[in-house]
Amino acid sequence: MDHLFILGCSLILIGAVFAVLVKPIQLALRIYVGVMSAGLLFNLAFALVNLVHLPATPLLFPAFPVLSSFFRLDGLALFFLLIITSAAIPAILSTHSYLNQYLHKAAAVRAFLVSFSLVLLSTQLLVLANHAIVFLIFWELMTLMAYLGLLLEKEKPEIQKGSFIYFATTHFATFCLYIFFFLLHSQSGSWLFSDFQLTQTSGMVFYVAFFFGFVGFAIKAGFMPFHFWLPHAHSIAPTVLSAFLSAVIIKTGIYGIFRMLEFCSPLPLWIGAGILAISLFSAIFGVWYALAQHDIKKLLAYHSIENIGIIGIGIGLGCLGMTYSIQPLIWLGLGGALFHTFNHAIFKSLLFLGSGVIYSNLHTRNIELMGGIVKSAPWFVGLFLIGSVAISGLPPLNGFMSEFLIYRGFFESASIFGGYFPFFMLLMTVGLAFVGGLALACFTKINSIMFLGNERSPHLKFTVTGLDYLSLGLLAFVCLLFGIYPQIILGIISSVVAIFQSGESAQTFSTFAQWNFITGIFAAIILLISTLIIWKVSRTNQRKSAAWGCGYAGQTSRMQYTASSYADDINGIAVSVLHLKSKVKIPETIFPVTSRFHSHAGDFSEDGLVKPIYSWIIGKITSVDFLSRTDIRFYILFMLLTVLFYGGTAILWTYL
Amino acid sequence: MDLSVSLQGLFPFVLILLVSPFLVGLINKQKAILTGRIGAPVWQPYYDLARLSRKETIYATSASFISRIAPVISFSAILFTLLILPIGYVRPLFSFNGDIIVFAYLLGLARFFQILGAMDIGSSFEGMGAAREATFAVFAEPIFFFTLGSLAFISGHTSIYDIYHSIQLDEPSALVFIIVSSISGFILLVTECSRMPIDDPNTHLELTMIHEVMILDNSGIDLFLYQYGSYIKIMVYAVFEASFFNPFSMANEWLGFSVFIVVIFLLTTVIAWVETMIARFKMKSIPQYLLFATAIGILNLLIYTFVR
Repeated sequence: MDHLFILGCSLILIGAVFAVLVKPIQLALRIYVGVMSAGLLFNLAFALVNLVHLPATPLLFPAFPVLSSFFRLDGLALFFLLIITSAAIPAILSTHSYLNQYLHKAAAVRAFLVSFSLVLLSTQLLVLANHAIVFLIFWELMTLMAYLGLLLEKEKPEIQKGSFIYFATTHFATFCLYIFFFLLHSQSGSWLFSDFQLTQTSGMVFYVAFFFGFVGFAIKAGFMPFHFWLPHAHSIAPTVLSAFLSAVIIKTGIYGIFRMLEFCSPLPLWIGAGILAISLFSAIFGVWYALAQHDIKKLLAYHSIENIGIIGIGIGLGCLGMTYSIQPLIWLGLGGALFHTFNHAIFKSLLFLGSGVIYSNLHTRNIELMGGIVKSAPWFVGLFLIGSVAISGLPPLNGFMSEFLIYRGFFESASIFGGYFPFFMLLMTVGLAFVGGLALACFTKINSIMFLGNERSPHLKFTVTGLDYLSLGLLAFVCLLFGIYPQIILGIISSVVAIFQSGESAQTFSTFAQWNFITGIFAAIILLISTLIIWKVSRTNQRKSAAWGCGYAGQTSRMQYTASSYADDINGIAVSVLHLKSKVKIPETIFPVTSRFHSHAGDFSEDGLVKPIYSWIIGKITSVDFLSRTDIRFYILFMLLTVLFYGGTAILWTYL
Repeated sequence: MDLSVSLQGLFPFVLILLVSPFLVGLINKQKAILTGRIGAPVWQPYYDLARLSRKETIYATSASFISRIAPVISFSAILFTLLILPIGYVRPLFSFNGDIIVFAYLLGLARFFQILGAMDIGSSFEGMGAAREATFAVFAEPIFFFTLGSLAFISGHTSIYDIYHSIQLDEPSALVFIIVSSISGFILLVTECSRMPIDDPNTHLELTMIHEVMILDNSGIDLFLYQYGSYIKIMVYAVFEASFFNPFSMANEWLGFSVFIVVIFLLTTVIAWVETMIARFKMKSIPQYLLFATAIGILNLLIYTFVR
């Protein structure tokens, strides 16, 4: 079985080689897509087979003990491998048509392809790593290669700015992780994940390590208030990469948090409560910020923050379960979080790749300039709509199913713990319902402004290639399949969650709901809908006429509701919290002249937290900047002193 | 689940499908009487529906396939909420752990497609209605979880049928609970079914409406589905409200049945009375009104957490 994985990984590397060596860029792209999707399929098969029959010895290559200690195949690693490969295949398929618009810059495209394949490879190896150093190496590789991938159009200033923010922020995250792993190493004396132990009895080290580990992983995952890099990086990345960034790379942060929970047992109560609070905060404000955006990719990036929040709520519930070792709660919380991680990877890929198709046709990301796409590409809009319904958490699609598990977790924990728990869990439930309402508002907004009504800027034709349809169709199919019949994946998740459950009382998913009942209802709904549609289409008495306009028939696209006006009612409630700014210039003359409206959505974390800290640090650094400009000898002295400081700290650390 | 139980659940479902237009007729009749008119007969909604089903369907030239599927999806989702909701003390056709969440989210699905169907026309009228619907829905969903959800947390059940059956009359706090829930349930009904003082179903000025303006360009069978769906929705919320008085039916089935009927009738009277006495609120103040309902919902839980 391991040979399959080796084959898959080597095919991914070979894809990168082909992308460099094959002369005609068009051909190189085709070969790249073919080879890469074959390699990813092998890895997907590897993950699936191993997940269904979890290996007794969780080691990769048991024949080679040297290698096998670096990698391990436990349920969690394999589940994330499944997520990575199933989100990567559609992204690779869409690469072909998306990069067609950049083919005149062959070198940049080749560089992008190489870095993209290395991102894919390092992400897969990162989740399988069992050795902290190996983990960090692949973590760095993933981060750096994603950074290089961001630079496809590096001549644009906004891309330079956004990619720098990504680069700086993720390196701060890596810095935190270095401290985290070194502290873990000093505690356990081993570099292997399977040996790591972090208990509260170790005193201060526990808090420091937990803090740095959580901050490092939370920056990657995009929990608020560490999310500020996400909207910048996602909106400027080439869309196939932003799909992968949002669907998978931020999930490596979630993977890290899961691993952390494994190290820290027994878990104190405040961890679960803290994660719940920060996650609810991320979920509510992520979606609220999303509502204010006009840039489709920025909007989707804020939705990633919302979904990371929902995943975090599941993790928090699972932590509460682990603290008191209540098996059903562990299952519902962590299982719901894992399921939502998978689902988010699927529907977010669908939405991002869809936005890539729109970008390659209309060359804009501003949704206020779109509209009327449904008339030229109804099937494409239908697929995008499936993703939107799924991400809003509505039945009968997969987003609902994972939120359903998390809701069940709220009810379960309230009835188990009693006391004040029902009160807090009710607040969580209402919070999640509120998030659902905001997500509904947001996705009705983007679907209607982007696709429906009349065209705001004329587009001649809207082409969606066969490969695009294939990749979007696959993703939409998975959304539908796991919405109606989640039993397939819930079985797998049960075996993954068993890692966190103690011993024989491991739960199976069938105890929590009558799943077949739900499947039946959802299938019946779809059946009813399709029957009614067929019946309605077959009716003959219908015709077309102009839309109602109080007797005015000359409606133009400029009279349509815009995204800003649609969201104005909701955003008006929280203007000050959200840092929304709008400038209205209404002329005070009798006769109408030009008036202006401009709105801008800031970010409280960026404006209020990161920028002040950043400028403070910059101020301090510039105060010693004269060293580098005056005399070279001073500068060398300065560097020596720095090295001495670090070396001295290291020596003191070792001997004290 | 054996056949007789499912038949028992099917009977009220069919009954409600038949009765729900009558409920709206009842509201309209009472409203007419209160304003000193004779008004349309109580059967008028049935005539309307029959007329709509015969008429031809006109689609706006700017409309796409979304307008064609949206009424169907919205109607089907509402129909299935009715299958989950227990009617009186009868077990519904579908009752399972967690159906309270499915109930809330099916209504969300209905709303999602109704909004899309409205926005499909590309007219500002529909846009205005859709934006308002989306905004008020954000505040209406918490109310649902604060009323029925708080009861779920107290009782430890997650199936609506079990939740209603867990209300015990012998506890004094239950009476307080019934009153408080009825108030926030009423506000929820008013919001979700677009009645006064949130929305005016009778106004003919497009700029002031929510629900009516969203279906401005629908006609024929589409309008039939939307209207019938909204009638069913009112009935769903009326049943939702009346079921809080479930404890009476545990003492005596006939007492419970008559209480159920009386509560629903009283509800129509209250709606009619409110629509006669109160003008529609300013759009800006509606969120505050809904937050007020949310605040009473919190009261529910405080009562239960601290009184018991």
